Amino acid sequence: MRGRTKRGLAKVPVTVLLAVGGFLLVVCPGGSPLEAGEEPAAQERQVPPNRKQADGPESLRARYAALKRQLEQQAPDSPYIVVDTARNLLIVKRRQEVLLMAIASTGSGTILDHPDRPGTQWVFDTPRGEFKIQSRLTNPVWVKPDWAFLEEGLKVPKDQASRLEPGILGEYALGFGKGYFIHGTLYTRLLGKNVTHGCIRLSDEDLRTVHRLSKVGTPVMIF
Amino acid sequence: MREVRRSAILLRQNVPLAITSRVFHTIVIGLFLLILGLSVPALAAESSSPDTDSPAKPSRIDQDDLELLREANRLLEEEIKLASRPQIYVVLDLGEKLLFIKGRGVELHRFPIKTWRVSGAQSVSGLFRLRARPTVTRPKAVPGHDPSLEPIGLEDMPAEYLLVYDPGLFLVVAPAIREQPWLWAWSRLREWWTRLGAWTRLAASNEPTAAGPVLRLTLSPEAARSLAWSVTDGMPLLIGKITLP
Repeated sequence: MRGRTKRGLAKVPVTVLLAVGGFLLVVCPGGSPLEAGEEPAAQERQVPPNRKQADGPESLRARYAALKRQLEQQAPDSPYIVVDTARNLLIVKRRQEVLLMAIASTGSGTILDHPDRPGTQWVFDTPRGEFKIQSRLTNPVWVKPDWAFLEEGLKVPKDQASRLEPGILGEYALGFGKGYFIHGTLYTRLLGKNVTHGCIRLSDEDLRTVHRLSKVGTPVMIF
Repeated sequence: MREVRRSAILLRQNVPLAITSRVFHTIVIGLFLLILGLSVPALAAESSSPDTDSPAKPSRIDQDDLELLREANRLLEEEIKLASRPQIYVVLDLGEKLLFIKGRGVELHRFPIKTWRVSGAQSVSGLFRLRARPTVTRPKAVPGHDPSLEPIGLEDMPAEYLLVYDPGLFLVVAPAIREQPWLWAWSRLREWWTRLGAWTRLAASNEPTAAGPVLRLTLSPEAARSLAWSVTDGMPLLIGKITLP
């Protein structure tokens, strides 16, 4: 008897309520209880009476044009670097003009756990945000960090000399902070893929162009 | 006698199982009907909508509409503040049906929006901040193993997800029903669930920001994945009708 009652209760409301709820959601997309109590946009738009005359259509349009110009002035005057990590592209622009569009390699997004220290791990992402070129190195030597040895299944050496690897980073390395660089690569077949440990790799020719167009202080916008 | 007892025990054990099974089937059927209920009218609506699957059209904003001019100016003032700092931000221009990734006022990338809809408020406008970017399963590098074999890429990002913004905004990103019907139906369930949660919070706390509006964006799966990839924790989002014709 109990079983029957439970079955009956479960069957009717769940099925019917879900189906009816679905129809109501679609048929009345904006009909939520929130509408009754909320009018945020209308309240914010109220203008004090003394401003009403000054805020006529002409003055508002003039203000709009002035604000547009002010926004355009925020753009860098000199060339700047844009890095699209989703599509692995590096673009050098001056205002709206594209000076270089290069195929790059950016962070793989993978994680490496420290084999001896539980809880310690590295996330190989290219950082997002706006940075500036802080250093411009010629014929850079890579000082291999701990993770590079651990990733290869090797022990971390104690002497500094064992960490030095010349010739891997290409002709130039442009540092943009926290140990991240735009540099060259030996693995050109991997350009266009997310394979790095966070740095941005370019082909030799593109790296030369980026080096020529940039200077210390050049903005680097990464998204 | 023993056999009878054993049968009685088996019967008692099976009755709850049978009930659970019935309830489970009822819920499954209910969910199926819900998805069907969601899909059919929306498919019809989407088919009749001239905006669906069409490229972004210029909005017909009346230049003399003071409210729109004021809103555009207010949003531009906000964007100038954002552009004055070294950061990447997102601008969602509902008038132009475009979503921009920007830095220093410069457009870095743009995504066309197929359709958008607000529920829980008459309009959405202003500056919001993302609480957390969509989660992605990151592969672990195995020592001694070539790490370039298993990187994460755009295809690993979700095409349907919910972004929660402060103060009080829920952004549901979903594909069009024609492109991925099941994912679309799932997003509708998620939207419904989000609204239910918002109402509950509103009832419990009586704080207006506890139950913000839900803004639903229909993007192509590629654009949705690309957006999920590009957003970061705390990233600003500016929404409104910014561009005047």
